[in-house]
Amino acid sequence: MNKINTLDLKSLVSNTINEVFDTMLSMEIELFDADSEVAGDGSRIVGSVSFAGEVMGSISIYVSGEFGRVMTAAMLGMELEEIESDEEVYDVIGELSNMVGGSLKSRFCDYGLPCELSIPSITTGSDFKIKSKNWSRYEGFAFRAFRHQQYVGFVEVYIKAGS
Amino acid sequence: MAIKVLAVDDSKTIRMIVKKAFNPFDCKFFEAENGVEGLALAAREKPDLIVLDITMPVMNGVEMLSRLKAEPSLKDIPVIMLTAESGRDNVLNIVKMGVSDYIVKPFKGVQLIERAKKIVKLEPKKAEEAAEDKSRRYFSIDGDIQHLVLPEKVTRAITVEVEGYLQSKIKEMVNSGTNKFILDLSKVTETNLSLIKLIILAAQHCQKSNIRIRIVSTPTLSNELKEFKEISAIPVDHTMEEAKAAL
Repeated sequence: MNKINTLDLKSLVSNTINEVFDTMLSMEIELFDADSEVAGDGSRIVGSVSFAGEVMGSISIYVSGEFGRVMTAAMLGMELEEIESDEEVYDVIGELSNMVGGSLKSRFCDYGLPCELSIPSITTGSDFKIKSKNWSRYEGFAFRAFRHQQYVGFVEVYIKAGS
Repeated sequence: MAIKVLAVDDSKTIRMIVKKAFNPFDCKFFEAENGVEGLALAAREKPDLIVLDITMPVMNGVEMLSRLKAEPSLKDIPVIMLTAESGRDNVLNIVKMGVSDYIVKPFKGVQLIERAKKIVKLEPKKAEEAAEDKSRRYFSIDGDIQHLVLPEKVTRAITVEVEGYLQSKIKEMVNSGTNKFILDLSKVTETNLSLIKLIILAAQHCQKSNIRIRIVSTPTLSNELKEFKEISAIPVDHTMEEAKAAL
């Protein structure tokens, strides 16, 4: 329990998000405080992965459908109109969640909190909320790309001590 | 001789990034979505290099690697592991499994190529030769008519590939004084954005160079194409004979 409470979760998440977006999307982002509603109330995509072990929890990335398409085009080096299907967008958001989750998992393990990582899952829709209960630590913040200021995404992490 | 590269990852995105990274080199590229498909392809194609993800459904990369190493005919194929986890234990485990190298995601294509070059010899593609040979999959000459035959489903990758050949084919036609072009869509069964983009592109190239173009397609497809304003002006025939006679 103590180990989880002393983790600098905020820095871990923000550094990881910055690294993944910079490397995979060549996208510089800024992070700011907000709640998940900031990702828009229209069509939304949420990519999540879960941790299970001495630390339990999940990391989720929320983006609007449009931001998801911009991220997909950036990751695959193509134009927006070249995206052939929503599946491509879901795959990109899932893979980004996996990379962020994988990086966090590695830091947890190095910190003496061994855990396993799930395969990413995708939730889509326009009117839903995802709530995790009974967590002991939470970090959540919004992000936007410097070159696409109109789009805002949201990332959140819930963790608690596992068995 | 082109080397064979096999990418095994459940994410199409990662397979596309890996494929793009190897694209400038003389490689034959194969893809599999999980360890089961990966093992089958490895046994059939005997690739020179495998780029293998760890976390996959059906059969993960660790199991595929252990089965690969247990098979005498496959055990020497070099493997670069892709992992989203950079923790000490994870890295030690990967190294113990006998992989040639590993890359922690996120990664850039150029990093993968740097690692791959230490394992296999990557030769740049001989651009003109390669393009000429591969263009025969789509382009052919029949007398004084240039044919462009498109497959059942035109994907974005095919559009990009054909687009790459189109300009030089039109240039060849202008240089040789021919001005007849048939876009054969008789095999095409799906109307999608990539197909429409390619038809418009071919029509624009022909128009610029005063080349007469006709489309050969099924009645169903020609009805669908009429919906697109930019294409509706191109004459359509339902048989090759009609198209040739009209040119």
